[in-house]
Amino acid sequence: MDAEFINSYRNPQLSGNWFLDLNPLSKMNIIIILAFIPVFYPSWQVSIGATLFYILLAVTSGRFKNFISPFLKLGLVIGPFFFILRAIFWPGDTTIFNFGIINITQEGVDLGIRYGTIMLVVTAVLVLLSVTIKAQSLTYALEKIGVPHTASFIILSSLQTIIDLKNKANVIMDSQKSRGIETEGNVFTRVRAFIPVLTPLFLGAISEAEEKSIAMDARAFGSDNSHSHLKFLRSVPVWEKLLVVIINLAVISLIIWRFVG
Amino acid sequence: MSYIELRNISYKYPLSKANVLKNISYSFEKGNLYGIIGSNNSGKTTLCNLIKGLIPEFYEGELYGEVLIEGKDVRKWDSNILATSIGYIFQNPFSQISGIKETVFEEIALGLENLGIKEDEIIDRVIDVIKLLNITDLAKKNPNELSGGQRQRVAFASIVAMNNDILVIDEPTSQLDPQGTIEIFDIINKLKQQGKTIFLVEHKIDLIAEYADEVLVIDEGELKHWGKTNEILANKDLLNRGINLPQVALLSHEMENINEPFDQFAITKAEAKKQIAKRWG
Repeated sequence: MDAEFINSYRNPQLSGNWFLDLNPLSKMNIIIILAFIPVFYPSWQVSIGATLFYILLAVTSGRFKNFISPFLKLGLVIGPFFFILRAIFWPGDTTIFNFGIINITQEGVDLGIRYGTIMLVVTAVLVLLSVTIKAQSLTYALEKIGVPHTASFIILSSLQTIIDLKNKANVIMDSQKSRGIETEGNVFTRVRAFIPVLTPLFLGAISEAEEKSIAMDARAFGSDNSHSHLKFLRSVPVWEKLLVVIINLAVISLIIWRFVG
Repeated sequence: MSYIELRNISYKYPLSKANVLKNISYSFEKGNLYGIIGSNNSGKTTLCNLIKGLIPEFYEGELYGEVLIEGKDVRKWDSNILATSIGYIFQNPFSQISGIKETVFEEIALGLENLGIKEDEIIDRVIDVIKLLNITDLAKKNPNELSGGQRQRVAFASIVAMNNDILVIDEPTSQLDPQGTIEIFDIINKLKQQGKTIFLVEHKIDLIAEYADEVLVIDEGELKHWGKTNEILANKDLLNRGINLPQVALLSHEMENINEPFDQFAITKAEAKKQIAKRWG
């Protein structure tokens, strides 16, 4: 068997990239706490700056390709949606445009820009977390700080279940199609075709969950022994701990400064 | 004392009106391979669930009688000990994959991780099992992206890695091609030679004839026939119960019909070859 592959399990899981190799909890901490800056300093300039910083982190971690597509897809929907919502409906004194119940004001536009750009930050955070943190590494790190093995299994299993359900829904839709049922076309046709899929999909999922619990029981899931880990992460180095502490202190200081400064 | 004993077992699933198992008694000895056969819905899988201890621990229902493992009632065993001493492989390979591991290698290691076995030992045991099951080509693959047959081999490997003393195997080859089926049966035979006690539900009756020490025939929840494989699988009554006889047993019956019976009734290819060689060799 491939010796390199086997040896990958004898050593900590490292990619060689400084950011990706941070402990998942450190990464989460850094990514999330930085997002508090635009929340407490609400201006479009700060939000755009934070978004650019997250993009830079995606580039530095070598995950830009994985990051940019979902970021644009989500960000370009959520950001403008929040902008439009605020710009159209937020009351204000300085009217820019008025048509029926729509009254666009300068105040609404300003608020819309602020909300829209904050939503870009939120999108960047979520996408960056998903492309730089492997679920398995995260659950390993959580277990190391005392989160029960069952909880980490539920997290990982739920993520896989979403993929499995999607695949099964496609299979059921294909079988419906093979019976001559119209499954493609406009939104109404698709919704009408999708509703009958839900019953077999969820009944199947319930039955499979029962079987899976038996399968996991056969794999000693309920064993009282403390679990070992074939794949493991490196111990968190001192410099990483310092980096996290410094970033946290810096952000907390900025927040305090916002209120007392 | 029998290794595993069923005493007057009757069982009804929750909300079910009729008993799925009816007054079954049998003693199982250590190190034997027991073939469990019967038509669909005859109660084979329920019997497996009972031996595995899932009844009454997991499926509550109404259980009458006793299941004794090494003389102790299954209800008095610690469920964790039962889980680690009795391995269970069932029909659907899709739900036997954990879904949380990135490679087949890690998937096979999952049970050993749960037992808290040291990492180096896990690696050695997984390598051994991968070689035993001849699935080296799958080791690096994502278990969630495998075909049904490949998943079935991985599910089998995952249980073999646990090194349980007792194995309950419910149709392990339902998704496999003929070659894959033969390979799995070779492994089951190796496990038997290692002294494992094996309960095997399988419709491929020729393979049961080849490998089982004893056969239990279940029909509508009742134990209709039981005993040595060569005696049970020679019984034409099985045909009335929707169970095929091994091809060689049918040949042996045909030989009797034309008044040219074999000296000894054959149910396996090896036995038939021997008889044919004796007569015409």
